[in-house]
Amino acid sequence: MGKILESLPLTIAAGVILTVVMIFGADAIQNSQMTAPEAPASEAMNSM
Amino acid sequence: MEAELYLIRLLHVISGIMWIGILWYFNFVQIPSMPKIPDEQKPAIGKVIAPEALFWFRWGAFFTVFTGLALAWRSGYLMDAMMLNEALIGIGMWLGLIMAFNVWFVIWPAQKIALGIVEADAALKPTMARRAMLFSRTNTMLSIPMLASMISVQNPVM
Repeated sequence: MGKILESLPLTIAAGVILTVVMIFGADAIQNSQMTAPEAPASEAMNSM
Repeated sequence: MEAELYLIRLLHVISGIMWIGILWYFNFVQIPSMPKIPDEQKPAIGKVIAPEALFWFRWGAFFTVFTGLALAWRSGYLMDAMMLNEALIGIGMWLGLIMAFNVWFVIWPAQKIALGIVEADAALKPTMARRAMLFSRTNTMLSIPMLASMISVQNPVM
């Protein structure tokens, strides 16, 4: 990590990668929160 | 209410530009330029410019966080964001809080020793200068996702 932070270009590249990870990670968190309450309903439908 | 939110957002953006502008000045201009500056001119940076920049830097960080929390609270999404129910802005707010913590509790104390603003063992100065640089770089790295998160409030990305 220290090697990355000593280099400004690598620091910026790491920031861009973190940004992409954050956007997809936040989307996954948001989707999991939206689907969680629906899980019991879908399970109930499968058992019918 | 609209005027109040507008004013808080304006103060938040102004404070944020002050904070991140000086952070990027340190990382894009001052740190890379120091090896090129003759030794007899270095005190101008270390004794005059850096302490002044650090004053606006740390208070810019403080008011950015203060106005940011006020904006989220008055807009009604503070708790949802902090609990990551509003995940993207929530992550950005946590990144901002971590960065502000670094400014006040790591970078500023280390810089006070490195720049000789407080009395300390001379042998400690290079260690503190390196610590300040690494945490300043950490904040530069985090500033990119943090800013991406902030604009997502008005421009949803996904």
